[in-house]
Amino acid sequence: MAVTMRITRTEGRLFLRDPLPVFFGLVFPALLLLALGLFFPGFKDPMEELNGARYIDVYAPITLGLGVATLGLVTLPPILGSYRQFGILRRLRTTPVHPRRLLLAQMAVHGAVSVVASVAAIVVAVVGFDLPVPQRPLWFVASYLLSVASIFAIGLLIGALARTTTTGSAVGMGIYFPMLFFGGVWIARGIMPDGLRTVSDFTPLGSAVQAMEDSWLGSAPSFTNLAVMAVYAVVVGFLAVRLFRWE
Amino acid sequence: MAVIEVEGLVKRYGSRNVVDGVSFHVEEGEIYGIVGPNGAGKTTIVESVEGLRHPDGGTIRVLGLDPIKDRYEITERVGTQLQESRLQDRIRVGEVLDLYASFYRNPADWRSLLDRLGLEGKEDEKYATLSGGQKQRLSVALALVGSPEIAILDELTTGLDPQARRATWDTIEQIRESWVTVVLVTHFMEEAERLCDRTMVVKEGRIVAIDTPGGLVQRLGSEQRLRFRPSEPLDDTVLTALPEVVAVEHNGPQVVITGTGNVIQAVTALLTQRQVIAEELRIEQATLEDAYLALTGQGGASNETGAEGR
Repeated sequence: MAVTMRITRTEGRLFLRDPLPVFFGLVFPALLLLALGLFFPGFKDPMEELNGARYIDVYAPITLGLGVATLGLVTLPPILGSYRQFGILRRLRTTPVHPRRLLLAQMAVHGAVSVVASVAAIVVAVVGFDLPVPQRPLWFVASYLLSVASIFAIGLLIGALARTTTTGSAVGMGIYFPMLFFGGVWIARGIMPDGLRTVSDFTPLGSAVQAMEDSWLGSAPSFTNLAVMAVYAVVVGFLAVRLFRWE
Repeated sequence: MAVIEVEGLVKRYGSRNVVDGVSFHVEEGEIYGIVGPNGAGKTTIVESVEGLRHPDGGTIRVLGLDPIKDRYEITERVGTQLQESRLQDRIRVGEVLDLYASFYRNPADWRSLLDRLGLEGKEDEKYATLSGGQKQRLSVALALVGSPEIAILDELTTGLDPQARRATWDTIEQIRESWVTVVLVTHFMEEAERLCDRTMVVKEGRIVAIDTPGGLVQRLGSEQRLRFRPSEPLDDTVLTALPEVVAVEHNGPQVVITGTGNVIQAVTALLTQRQVIAEELRIEQATLEDAYLALTGQGGASNETGAEGR
């Protein structure tokens, strides 16, 4: 356990030394929400098509989901790909420490960064734009954790198979953008046509955004949303662990 | 005392035997070379010794342990530098050594290790800023940071410039002084000649010879080579008729004669008799490189001629 902690500390320092992931993973969600609230006309006005909610209200959970997806699908897979490509996993296999711990450390670092990024975005929403603090805190935390688990599982599966940094990056990006679309980044779920919203419900990010929105604004998340995320987390996570290539 | 005992090691990929019945012993404290052409099975042999590969046949004992069953104990007591492995670009030298030292129950003092490997004052440098030679020496440091009894170093100096290569060799000689057994996988004969007490030559998954570097050269017999430019064309058959001559080759205007015994006198006498002058005459003794090429059957046409001559 102590060794895993040490590896996590080192990997955390390495993460913070790379400016791009730090910006997009750590700072971007809060910054995006700030920019949307400050510079987009009508974002703070109640909207009929959103049943009286404001765009900023539905975009707050979207930026949280976006942050999770950026870390899980854009940052994590190329790091795991490079660790395989550079022989770092192989080198660890020759030491008394199993390379599994390096994966755990990477997940822990990405998880911690995601928590900080999400808290920052929540602070911006609450302090800057009069959103309530999440109204159903336990449901909210559960929804957030399931979001991280389901999306990181996908990132881990890509990282499990990617032979190189480039493959990890390309596949991650290929999943990231459609995922953002279904998460409502370009068309909020509230104004999606019904059919599209149903498809969105079956993607982890679509369910993540809805569950976080519901529990933030005061209702319990739907069983479907939670179950979709749980299934992704378990099935994809299991595949990732089973298919992981150490070299 | 043998610290590595390999008997009849077989490793198959598909239907091909990549390692085909290899047996050897490495004694405590020696530097043992494994040389052979690419694809000869060198890396598969050492990776089986490290327990990274499951052999399809034969037995391996390392420090009296089974590399697969006693995997953990092996990782504690055998340090490894793998072929073509790097580290994270942004990791600092001190950071990575400190981290890897924490993996072992009896870690070495990594600061003195840095000094010994000529990396003193580098602990705050990031991996990406190190030169190729420094990266390799850091890799050796990581292989040694657990105070291993055996260090296995695979393709240590591939891709290094001659100066960095020599500096790395000095490092290996340092390791020998601390009585660590070293297994060195290489395809540089000069490296094996300079460092190894004994060298095993592998070809197509089989051992073709195990001997000291000097012993390997001697196996070629007391072969010598004359290289010169004849002032007038010479008929090969006249030369090959001499009993001392083993082979005659042409290299542009040069004639290269390989032979044994008094081949030098025999050839010069013949040249004098025919009133041919040997211009730019050079005489070469066989080197380990020649022994290696002869043993592994590399060297193309020239070797075939040689075989015919015999």
